[in-house]
Order: sequence, then structure tokens, then C-alpha cells
Amino acid sequence: MKRLTFGICVLFLGLGLVVGATPGVAADTIKVGVVGPRTGTAAATGKAFEEGIKLATGYVNSKGGVLGKNLEIVFEDTAGAPDKAASGFERLATRDKVAMVLGESHSSSALAEIEVANRLKVPFIVAEAWADPITAKNYKYVFRAGPSNSGVVNHTIAKWVAHEKFKKAYIVAENTDWGLGIGKLCEAALAKIGVVYETLETERKSQDHYTELAKIKAFDPDVILAFIYGTGLHYFVAQAGEMKVSPKAVILDGAGPPSLWPDFWKNVGDYGNLECFVSSMHEKVELTELATYFREAYVKEFGVQPTDYKSRSIFDAILIAADAINRAGSTDPDKLVQALENTNLLVTRGTAKFDTTKGGPSYHHWMPPMLVIQWQDKKQVVLYPPEGATGKLKR
Amino acid sequence: MFSLALMNGIVIGVIYALSALGVSLVVGIMNVINFAHGELYILAGYFSFIFADALGWNIYVSMAAAVGLVFLFGILIEYSLIRPTYGNDMYSLILTFILSIVLQNAYLLIFGPYPNKPPNWIKGATNVFGQFYYGNQRLAALVAGVIVIAAVFLMLKKTWFGKIIRAASQDREMAELNGVNTKALNMLSFGLGCALAGAAGVILAPVFPVSPTSGVPIALTAFVVVVLGGMGSMWGCVVGGLALGLVENFGAAFISTGYKHIFGFIILILVLAIRPVGLFGRSET
Repeated sequence: MKRLTFGICVLFLGLGLVVGATPGVAADTIKVGVVGPRTGTAAATGKAFEEGIKLATGYVNSKGGVLGKNLEIVFEDTAGAPDKAASGFERLATRDKVAMVLGESHSSSALAEIEVANRLKVPFIVAEAWADPITAKNYKYVFRAGPSNSGVVNHTIAKWVAHEKFKKAYIVAENTDWGLGIGKLCEAALAKIGVVYETLETERKSQDHYTELAKIKAFDPDVILAFIYGTGLHYFVAQAGEMKVSPKAVILDGAGPPSLWPDFWKNVGDYGNLECFVSSMHEKVELTELATYFREAYVKEFGVQPTDYKSRSIFDAILIAADAINRAGSTDPDKLVQALENTNLLVTRGTAKFDTTKGGPSYHHWMPPMLVIQWQDKKQVVLYPPEGATGKLKR
Repeated sequence: MFSLALMNGIVIGVIYALSALGVSLVVGIMNVINFAHGELYILAGYFSFIFADALGWNIYVSMAAAVGLVFLFGILIEYSLIRPTYGNDMYSLILTFILSIVLQNAYLLIFGPYPNKPPNWIKGATNVFGQFYYGNQRLAALVAGVIVIAAVFLMLKKTWFGKIIRAASQDREMAELNGVNTKALNMLSFGLGCALAGAAGVILAPVFPVSPTSGVPIALTAFVVVVLGGMGSMWGCVVGGLALGLVENFGAAFISTGYKHIFGFIILILVLAIRPVGLFGRSET
């Protein structure tokens, strides 16, 4: 028995030595973490992130990597749940010892993660979580290289509503940090431009929207600003068509990607025609040479055109991170923060530069340009901004 | 608004009742809570999608084949996972919970994160009494749901198998003493419970497309309906399902749409506070 115990101890000691030796192997790479939902209701975002990661790591490593080493991405699935998001972030920082963390799509998860980032002093670049408080808290280690609620509402949605001369709007907001936050900002922006509006909340996981749509129909709006993410948006569009609420009222998908998912047309049928959505990507509008590179590399790698623009958001975030690590010359968190604050990098959506004005959500935020696009006979037509428009609104 | 809430409450209520019948049947006969009920509902939706969409089969043949396959899958689950746990209800609960997670992840791997939808049996919408438009596919789901529920009740009332099920659910030991093969009964009952989840899945998949995790809210609602109606009571399922559908829709129409599902839970708490065995449940004592 003693022999067996001794043998087991030796075995574990041996294993310990092997594990202990691992950092030597890991030292050949610089690790960066990515957080996002790979399971749960928004698992499509995780898929889009993985596509972007594949292309970005290939791109960065082909250009010499970071600090002379290969860039390695470690993915943590958050499943869209704040508790899993926080613990996943902590694992990346403590177990994987990543230099920084990127990603996230759910605002509720990002709000949990920024607390960990700030506590553990790990730089965090949020790619696609839109709630204002993420950067409005003005945390030193938190950056955002993607849209924010106030940015999307004030720069795109409210201006588009005014541009199309809509008089009555209905806001439908899912009861999440993103949905309720963007709904409130829309109310303020619509009031400012004199548009009459009503608002209702809907459950994040709701499948049946008939009662909501009956209320919307009674109000008879010109436009419905639908802040519903995931499959719920497909249900909403299809049911609005069934109840003849649309196309009389134009629907704007305020999140974007669900209207671009490959199964959109199958799920919504003809009711998807004339639906509008907010997007940072259009099949015919490419803002930089890197956007063209991304599209070509995507088609080469996956055999289809890119649809969910979140693959490009994480691509940009990885490039920004790699650039900051190289300029910082180290993975020291404070040096990385300083390097990120001085970012001036051409990515697929324009030139990334983080605002350093404290006191509001623009702190450590770079807001990429967004477009309003309408499906017209299954073709994407850019409606807004006017300088990028490829057609006019159809009703 | 009143007429739409009433109509939608009935339609959604019938769908809830249908999804809860399978849970109730298995609880009533085997005292097993099948946590993977929602994932079996989804599985039937996926099968229906594959047969009708990818293979181009007739939609009704696809639906029947999907329900049949889920029935067989249910039998396999009972034989391999549930049977060794008889005598310890907690183990079957844990096993079916694990199965639900495994199935969710398997769906994600096989079908990807996007929802899948079999073709509609019927397109368009109907103007109901000049009040509102209602999707024809939903009306078809209502009719199909009522037919399946009626068929289950007829089977329980009129057939030899139904009589055995009722006898076993009332007094299992006495049924065994009278020569009922309870092993076979368990297997068939579990398969039937899964097939009912599958029936709900194929009826609803054209209305609410299936995705890896979309069975979770269905299963949760089914459990609420079963508890509300009374564990193991078939009539309880129908009344509980309709009550839940109506409460949610009237609550959403006249109080708040943002917390629609909360109303169902409030009703559940109230009913259990007054009648702990549910509306049609039998007291053990």
C-alpha cells in the first residue's frame, strides 16, 4: 500500500514538473483572450468571432506576430450570462495569463467583465457590447472599439428617422442592458427632433410578439425601432408581417446581425422584404483596403461572403490589440493602456482612435461608422448616410 | 385587444398543454421528471426540418417520421439511462438534466447556432371578425394541437394500453400483481411522453423555428403547466395550459409586455398557496 502511495506521489510529482515546464512552451506565443457567447441564444456571435479570430491571427502572424512571437487567442464562452462572463474573464487573466482581453457581445456580460478587468488590471477592448455605462464608468483598463448605444442613436438612427421624415415611431426594447439603454436614448433623441413615439418592453427570450404587435398596430407608426437581438428578431419580423403591421410601418432592426444571418429569409419569408437594419458592413461599401482584404480572405477561407459583421469587429479588435502590444514593447498593463490611448490604426472600418475625454461614454471609445440598410427584393440597399446611399427607402 | 388576447391565449394555451402532456404522462406513470423534454421537442423540429427541407419530403410525412424517431429515441433513453435508476428518482432527474445539456451542445455542433425552420403547411394570415389578422400557420397549429390532445385522451379512455396506463398511474403495485409488465409499460410510456414532446415540436417548428437552446423555455413552461394543473393529471395539463396562455396574454395586453412570463409564475404561486397539489392533483394522504 505504501509502495502504491509512493508511486502515485512520484507520478503526480512528475506531472507537476511537466506542467511546471509548460510556460517555456507557452513563452513562444503571446496570449490574448477573447470573450463571447459560443453557446446560448446568441451563439451565432461566437461563431462570427471565431471566424474573425482565424483571419486576424493569420494576418497578424504573417506580418511578424507580436513582439517577435506568434499571437495566440484563447476563447472563453460566456453563454450570454454575466456570471459566466465574469468567471471566464477571470480565468483568462489568472489561468491563461493573457496580455489583454477582447470581445463580448452582450452588454450585461460586458458590464460584469469590466469590473474584473478593472480589479485585475487587465486591458479589455470591448468589440460589440453597446450599453453606454461600459465606457461611461471611465475605467482605466476598459476600451471600446465598436458601437455604443448613444453613438448609434445619435449618429445614425435619429438622423435617419429625421432624414426619412417619419412622424410617428414605436420603440420595442428587449429587457436587457442593451435594449433598455438604447430604447431610453431613442426616446430622448426622438423627442428632440419632434417625432411622436411610444415604447414597450419585450422579454429577451420571447417567441410570441402578437400582443405587442396589436399595441403597435393601434398606434399606427411610420417606423418601428426594434431592439431585439437574436432569433427573437426573426419571430418579430415574421409576426409583424402576419399581422399586417409591416410593411406599412417600416421595421428597423436596431442590432443588425440577425437580419444578416443565413437563415433570415427562411424564417421570415417574404415578410423580410423592406426590413431595414443597422450595420457596419455592406456588400458593396468598403471603407478601407483592409476591408477588401478581409472580404477576400473570408471568401477564400470559408467559401462564402461574410454576413455577420461581428466577424469583422473582432478582426479589428485583434489588430488594434496586436498593434498596441507591439508599440508598448511589453505586455505590462499600464504600458498597454498608454499604447491603446495613442492608437491611430487603419482597420477595416476606418481609422481606430480612442477618445480620452473623461466624464461620459466617449472615454476610451472609438465609434466606427454605421449604415442603415434596407432589404429590397433580397438585395441590400444603403439608405443612410446620404453620402454612402445606394438607393432610396421603399415602403 | 381583448379579442386578440383571448384568441392568442387559447392558441398558446393549447400549445402549452400539448407540450406538458408528455411530461405529465411520464410523471404520472413512472414518477420520473424528464429534464430533457425541451430538447426532445427540438429534436423533432430538427428531424422535420431535415426531412422536409433538406430531403424534400412531404411535410406531413416528415412530421410523422420525426415523431416516430423521437418515440424510438425515447425508448432508447429509457432503456439505457432511466431504467438503471429506478428506485432513486433523483438520479433520473440528474441524468435527464445532463442529457439536456449534452443534446443542446450536440445540436450546436451539428446544426450550428442559427435557428432552423421547416416549411409552413399553410401560408398567409386570416382576418378574424374584422378585428385583427392572425397567422394561418398558428391556426393550423391550434387545430393540430387539439387533434393530438383529443387523440391522447381517446387513447387513454378507450384503448387497452390506455387502461393499463391509468391503472398503473393509480396503483402501480396492484397493476403489477395483475400481470402488467411494468418494465415494458415504462418503456412505452416514456417513448410516448417523448413522442408528445416531438408532436409539439413538429407542430410548432414552422411557427417558432428551433435552435439549440429554444427547448429550454418550452420545457420550463411545460413544468409550470404540470405543477399548475396537478402532477400527473392529464386534464390538469389542458386546464393549466389554457390558464397559463390566457393569463400571459391578458397580462401582456393590459399590464406589461416586458414581464409576460412573470404572470404565469404569479398564478402558479397563488394556486400552490391555496391548493398545494395543483388544480387537479391528488393528495397523497
